[in-house]
Amino acid sequence: MKPTVGIPRALLYYEFFPLWNTFLKSLGVSTCVSPCTNKRILANGLKNSVDEACLPIKLAMGHVIELCGKVDYIFLPRIVSVAPREYICPKFLGFPDMVRNAVPNVPKLIDANIDLYHPRSKAQKNLHEIGKLFCSNPMRINRAHKTACQSLISYKKLLQENILPEAAMEIMACKEIVFKNKHSKYDSNGPTIALIGHSYNIYDQHISMDIIGRLKKLGVNVVTAETLPEEIVRQGATILPKKLFWTLGQQSIGSAIHYLSDPAISGIILVSSFGCGPDALTGELIERYIHRTRTIPFLKLTLDEHTGEAGVITRLEAFLDMVYWKAG
Amino acid sequence: MKAYLGIDVGSVSTNLVLIDEQAHIIESYYLRTNGQPILTLQKGLQKMAAKLPMKITVNGAGTTGSGRYLAGIITGADIIKNEITTHAVAASSIVPGTKTVLEIGGQDSKIIILRNGVVSDFAMNTVCAAGTGSFMDQQASRLNIPIEDFGPTALRAKTPVRIAGRCAVFAESDMIHKQQLGYNLPDILAGLCEALVRNYLNNVGKGKEILAPAVFQGGVAANVGMKKAFEKALGIEVNIPEHYNVMGALGAAILAREETIKTGISNFKGFSVANAKYHAGGFECTGCPNMCEVVEIYKSKKVIARWGDRCGKWSNSIAQSEKIS
Repeated sequence: MKPTVGIPRALLYYEFFPLWNTFLKSLGVSTCVSPCTNKRILANGLKNSVDEACLPIKLAMGHVIELCGKVDYIFLPRIVSVAPREYICPKFLGFPDMVRNAVPNVPKLIDANIDLYHPRSKAQKNLHEIGKLFCSNPMRINRAHKTACQSLISYKKLLQENILPEAAMEIMACKEIVFKNKHSKYDSNGPTIALIGHSYNIYDQHISMDIIGRLKKLGVNVVTAETLPEEIVRQGATILPKKLFWTLGQQSIGSAIHYLSDPAISGIILVSSFGCGPDALTGELIERYIHRTRTIPFLKLTLDEHTGEAGVITRLEAFLDMVYWKAG
Repeated sequence: MKAYLGIDVGSVSTNLVLIDEQAHIIESYYLRTNGQPILTLQKGLQKMAAKLPMKITVNGAGTTGSGRYLAGIITGADIIKNEITTHAVAASSIVPGTKTVLEIGGQDSKIIILRNGVVSDFAMNTVCAAGTGSFMDQQASRLNIPIEDFGPTALRAKTPVRIAGRCAVFAESDMIHKQQLGYNLPDILAGLCEALVRNYLNNVGKGKEILAPAVFQGGVAANVGMKKAFEKALGIEVNIPEHYNVMGALGAAILAREETIKTGISNFKGFSVANAKYHAGGFECTGCPNMCEVVEIYKSKKVIARWGDRCGKWSNSIAQSEKIS
């Protein structure tokens, strides 16, 4: 019997799922992703998390609980760093331990460290630790790692064509070219808005209250940090006097700064979750840079547990009025 | 004479405004919503219909406020606009050249920055509603003073005490402590006004360039203590328009006028809707684990609108059946 590994549809899922999935599948493991966020997942997450955790962590807890009883392993690598001299949020590091202590009868956790902080450390070595659980042949693990990296590259390419993560994953799963054409880069003649925020906030339809879908319905094109190649994002972030060591914060700042100087962008929306530590700094930095230039309509949205959508709708509508007003 | 109706259904008050073609207010009503938006709206429409001079015809209607969709469905509004835009439109029509709008309502507060007559930036309170009208209401009733006397009493203060304004719960306990130590009421109330202004400027007004002319509107602008506290904190004069408490409705009326001039027709259903039987019902959809709370608006026994479903299964089914009929 093939073992099944559960992958929560949360946190860095939208960044790395194709890599994880391809790697595990190449080792002969079947994978199971938790369903899209719904009320039950969120409620379970809230109930089982410590109070001071942020919404994305609480949500990830809900996704882990959703997988309990359905899988043999839960894939929760302890992602310390994904780029040299940079870190991922500290709450992510502690997450496997939070799960182990909060969820009774949790399946075996795959919580190997992924730490690329040191310029000489190799992702391959980190993944080997995980691969060894399912395969004793190091050559096969190496091959799995290579195909996994390939699939991450093709995934990022799809995102850069402004295809949404879930659609991009679907394309990769069925390798359908026809399907891809349905998601053209710009699907409306309306203004283009840059939506800046962590992937686990803006792409989760439930907690973002489907902000992307709403904007599209209002006739707006949406671009994000993921639409840009990594070099451009990093280039944008060099505006800071000192390198930011939060990878995710750097993504937000770099893309915001880039879009700020792009004449095709009519407005910037910044989404952050309530109680996010790094965002308290990076969000503020972005806001200040934008206010300094004062050339572009800007909106900051804070997400938390509320289910009432009226607040988000009112702000989005007012923001778009502002965008259209400015356009004349 | 042609007239235009603006309706603002807010959490605390429901306001109606009737304007003429020059955007002058013919009639305005400020009613407490009391948790019954439909009934209050109908009551307001009845009142207005009774006062309406014979020669006036309503040529357009606009709705705003958190109940704008509900009110829009019931009255057949020509335009349904968010409250930020309507407040900005109304402020710049009353005080031309307005650069800052400070608005504090029942459950929300907002700041709108206008430059050259258009909105260039805005912010609304995020997860906290401390310092909005409903908190002041609650404190007034705890201290057993009518809300109307709140402002004048605060003006009598000689040395306002410092109250922690960051959170409504803390503010209340701080007020109680001060009151038990024997500070007099005017000083406590003025201290509360200053704390709320501080909280507003730190949260909603954070990073915003607040320039004169500034307009202070929304129900809380009735409180002269708040006006004084704003002027003290900002160092600029703060204007309170005559119809400060119905500015959202005024903005909606102005936008309805623009809209109907553009389209040439109005969908306004007339004042008779005030006498029809509307009621709201709802159910929890069990189609998926989201268990959306779907709201249904009935006219007599027919469902005329539905919302609250994330997937659109219920709200779209109404739109389709309307197309067929």
